Amino acid sequence: MDFRIPEELQALRASFAAFVDREVRPIDESMTEEYWSGTPDHGRLHDAAEQVRRRAAQEGFYACYLPEDVGGWGVSTLGTALLVEDAARCGVRLAMMAVAPPNPSGPSTLLLQLPEHLQDVYLRPVVRGEASMCFALTEPEAGSDAQAIRTRARRDGDSWVIDGHKHYITNGDKADFAVVFAVTDPEKRAAGGITAFVVPRDQFRAGKTQWTLADTHPSELFLDGARVPADHVIGEVGLGFFAAMSFLNAGRAYIGAQCLGLAEFALDAAVAHARSRTAFGRPLSRNQGVAFPLAESKVEIEAMRWLTYHLAWAVDEGENPMLDASIVKYYDTERAYAVADRCLQVFGGMGLLREGPVERVLRHLRMLRIVEGASEVQQLVISRAMGL
Amino acid sequence: MNIVVCVKQVPDSWAEKKLNPSDSTLDRDSVDAVMNELDEYAVEEALVLQEAHGGEVTILTMGPEKAGETIRKALSMGADKGVHVVDAGLHGSDAVATSAVLAKALGTLEWDLVIFGIESTDARMSVVPAMVAERLGSPQLSFATKVDVADSTVTIQRQTEYGFDTVEAKTPAVVSVVEKINEPRYPSFKGIMAAKKKPVTTLTLADLGLGADEVGLAGSWSAVDEFAARPPRQAGSVVKDEGDGGVKIAEYLAGQKFI
Ligand SMILES: Cc1cc2nc3c(=O)[nH]c(=O)nc-3n(C[C@H](O)[C@H](O)[C@H](O)COP(=O)(O)OP(=O)(O)OC[C@H]3O[C@@H](n4cnc5c(N)ncnc54)[C@H](O)[C@@H]3O)c2cc1C
Repeated sequence: MDFRIPEELQALRASFAAFVDREVRPIDESMTEEYWSGTPDHGRLHDAAEQVRRRAAQEGFYACYLPEDVGGWGVSTLGTALLVEDAARCGVRLAMMAVAPPNPSGPSTLLLQLPEHLQDVYLRPVVRGEASMCFALTEPEAGSDAQAIRTRARRDGDSWVIDGHKHYITNGDKADFAVVFAVTDPEKRAAGGITAFVVPRDQFRAGKTQWTLADTHPSELFLDGARVPADHVIGEVGLGFFAAMSFLNAGRAYIGAQCLGLAEFALDAAVAHARSRTAFGRPLSRNQGVAFPLAESKVEIEAMRWLTYHLAWAVDEGENPMLDASIVKYYDTERAYAVADRCLQVFGGMGLLREGPVERVLRHLRMLRIVEGASEVQQLVISRAMGL
Repeated sequence: MNIVVCVKQVPDSWAEKKLNPSDSTLDRDSVDAVMNELDEYAVEEALVLQEAHGGEVTILTMGPEKAGETIRKALSMGADKGVHVVDAGLHGSDAVATSAVLAKALGTLEWDLVIFGIESTDARMSVVPAMVAERLGSPQLSFATKVDVADSTVTIQRQTEYGFDTVEAKTPAVVSVVEKINEPRYPSFKGIMAAKKKPVTTLTLADLGLGADEVGLAGSWSAVDEFAARPPRQAGSVVKDEGDGGVKIAEYLAGQKFI
């Protein structure tokens, strides 16, 4: 066993850190007013995120995990996870837009299963940061139980015609195209009856924005007779879930890495605050009631780190670590939230303020405990794997 | 056109630096080491010139084993090869001793231009480029905000208080560049992977024909006699506002001769 991070990945992290410091930090600092405002200008925030995304794509960090022939760098899952962690840890919020994962608006590896001529149309523009996508699975009547979706796709000559209603779709209002999951065989459903399609913008309509407590606000999506050519199928007809499996493990490593980075950021901030803030004539850190929860947080962060790196490593080894992926999604989101909550407490009133460092971290982590398979669903997967 | 860029590994400029109590040299082990930020501009300028004129870019550094990381970084930005002067006898070299080593090492290489950053962020002497040029008997074009090469003439612009000077020399020449000159590139992953396979030659003092008394603490013209930690900041005085706060502030400022 060799737990050292390979030299080339250390060098990649240093290069990314320089990019964040030189280019992302100044943009982020210019957004302070919006971050602290009760009524932020979402247009300005979106433009800033786009600016970061485009620059990061030009430099190559954004889609570094994709193969070189589609414009990526072929960076391993571990390497990408480290960049996701660093982006979350550095405290520059917009840095989280500089690496695509785990943002659903970025170029999904799913698109590698499209025929070559369609990769030019759909995948490569997203790799270049010139276009964005959304991932449309969830419906009002099908969330955790994803195989219960009702969106239907019917073959009509050389096309597929899709009808349905999606909701909670991140970037649904801005995306240039959607990856839409629809039922192609109601008898088979998850066992060969659900297909993933690429649907261009002009074939669907975004409904209302769904405002959340996090800084991500998804929207409804309507498909009314959406028509796509037959070659717009991702992978094979009926095997949409199978296609999605191909990126799920890596995707969970990236969510884990983001949780890890955010927890580290919150802890760094809380430790600094506990050492500098005085109450009752001594630094807060002199109280075990403050120091011990932070010590516990450190322990949990190290556990998160090695679970996450191990998952990424297993994916790179070509394994199919589905159980590890569920463990990471469950443990990292839950523990990172607990860490952030303890850290927020150390800040007292400032913890609750938008001006404080931890408030937005806590809100983001609260979201991660629900999206992409809620904690209970991960527990379900884990317990089933145990034969329960 | 062949270019040599001299780079230095320095402690991270944000880190708290310490001196070794035994010999008053910088404790390089206690802090993260990075490429001197100002040298990144020199590497970038060399790569830009190479893109226009062809030839090879060689990275030269003097420093402990670990300084090889800094060569690797420059190679990952796109430079072709590295030369690392590493020898226990170099420990404690000042600017004069360093310039002797670099000049000797440059004597083993073929070049049309040597490019430096304007100073290192740890020593901040800003004299090594001039000393090296003097030892080599080459023209020196310092503080460049722009570098152009045509045939065997190198022309720079040097920012001044009232505008800029245009300075010209025949190659081979030594140039130092300021940070305004360009935006250093970020190493790409491709560049990082390629750098692993690029050649780096190491040279010792013996290879350069330098004696132990010419370099290191012994060969340095300057020495640190004594050092002391910065005194902790004094607590400020707190004045309570009992309705006369404005007057007290004015009195304080007047006392300090601010008003
Ligand atoms: C901000 C945000 C962004 C999102 N982005 C996207 C996106 O881009 N694309 C997309 O397709 N979807 C997206 N989603 C949807 C998200 O994945 C779902 O919300 C999530 O899967 C849960 O589904 P649900 O909301 O329908 O909850 P439900 O499935 O109704 O679950 C409600 C609760 O019951 C629990 N539960 C359900 N089944 C069980 C069980 N068997 N045992 C125990 N507990 C159970 C759940 O864990 C949960 O706590 C997003 C959601 C949000 C909030």
